[in-house]
Amino acid sequence: MNRDLRTIITTVIVLVVCILLQSTLLTKIAIRGVRPDLAMLVLIFVSMRRGSMVGQVSGFASGFLEDLMNVSPLGFHSLLRAVIGFLYGMLSGNVFIDPFLMPIILAVVATILKGILSGIVSALFGIAASGFITFTGRIWIEVGYNGVIAPFLFALLNLFRVFKQADKESG
Amino acid sequence: MPGLFESFFSRHRKGATLAGLVLVSLVCLLISNRTIVVKPKEIGLSVGGFFQKGFTGFFNWFGDTAGSIGQLRAAREELAAAKERLQQMDQETRENLELKRQNAALQAQLDFAQTLPAERISAEVIARDTDNLFSTLTINKGSRQGVKKGMPVVAWQGDIEGLVGKVLSVGPGSSEVLPLYDPQCIVSSRVDTTRDEGLVSGQGQDRGTLVMRYVKKIAKDKISYGDLIVSSGLGGLYPKGINVGRIREISAPAYDTSLVLQVQPIISFERLEYIFLLLPASAATPAEATP
Repeated sequence: MNRDLRTIITTVIVLVVCILLQSTLLTKIAIRGVRPDLAMLVLIFVSMRRGSMVGQVSGFASGFLEDLMNVSPLGFHSLLRAVIGFLYGMLSGNVFIDPFLMPIILAVVATILKGILSGIVSALFGIAASGFITFTGRIWIEVGYNGVIAPFLFALLNLFRVFKQADKESG
Repeated sequence: MPGLFESFFSRHRKGATLAGLVLVSLVCLLISNRTIVVKPKEIGLSVGGFFQKGFTGFFNWFGDTAGSIGQLRAAREELAAAKERLQQMDQETRENLELKRQNAALQAQLDFAQTLPAERISAEVIARDTDNLFSTLTINKGSRQGVKKGMPVVAWQGDIEGLVGKVLSVGPGSSEVLPLYDPQCIVSSRVDTTRDEGLVSGQGQDRGTLVMRYVKKIAKDKISYGDLIVSSGLGGLYPKGINVGRIREISAPAYDTSLVLQVQPIISFERLEYIFLLLPASAATPAEATP
């Protein structure tokens, strides 16, 4: 099997597990009802390591499954995650990821980007996503939460061979 | 021409793939927002619910095992307290029987319709929304157990029953509940003491306050902090008299003809575990219509 395809399949499985954890176990450690977005952190890590193609396809597939599982309209999360996977994949090989600072920056930027994108999509399609109605409060908790968790999660994901950097960006 | 297309695609493979994925997502959004897509959501809900049940069960098992020792100690204390409470309740039951007899006689005289729900379905909250963008709760009962879209949802915390929200969508074995704190959840309510009416809606945060609007300014001197807000029963979705919250703040904006009340919900949503779905006594097929 092609290495990219193997990575995509593995990533989608990991992302779905993260999504399930977010809706169950992580609700116990929510701050004011806000949980870290593990799935997005895994997605940006994989995209940075394996490039745009793996990032956007994995993001799309996992987002589509997420849309099937919850109240969001079909296409909502698949669109957000495909775009984030693509943009972070563009940085692959161009940014040095140190163990501490870069994961925080990448996570903070991705969360804000998710907030902006979801706000635009919600406004365009009239979707009632209460979380980022005013772009205040909850999103900044998620920004902080994701930023704190990112270095540890990236260090953990570094241990898995399937997510190792591609020698040359495919596609 | 095909050669030109192939060379363009090979040069811009990543960009073309992104464009394709974005297009698929947008088409899905357009279709599902007009509620054309029903089956995939139902399938997704039931499959997702299955895994969420599994995850919740798995983690609960670990938590329960670890906590069982402490629980045993707590259970002894609870047993002693329960015995004492039982004695009190015996006394209260006797008093209630007398009150019920009086109430039945008065209702018969006034020809009141029976508005309290007779039956309820109990369910467990097995998951929250997967993302912080939305605020639904997933419960472990679905259409197979008689759950229907639009059913009112209540819960008990301590000794008080409070309104949780309504059923938003139903799968075969699990359902999504729209909680009271979601801005889309609007409840016709009234101040219990003064009977002034208004509409209560959420502000998007499970630990935040609700907001009650359209209460006439003339009522400002009569209502006070801590007053109970209950459902009014208007609109027919939520039964009359269910506790919604207590007034925490009263403001009278100069630009508005009505008061704006900040309401602290009765239910603490972040520690919500078990809920009840209300089946109206008068309707065999309840609450199809949503407000």
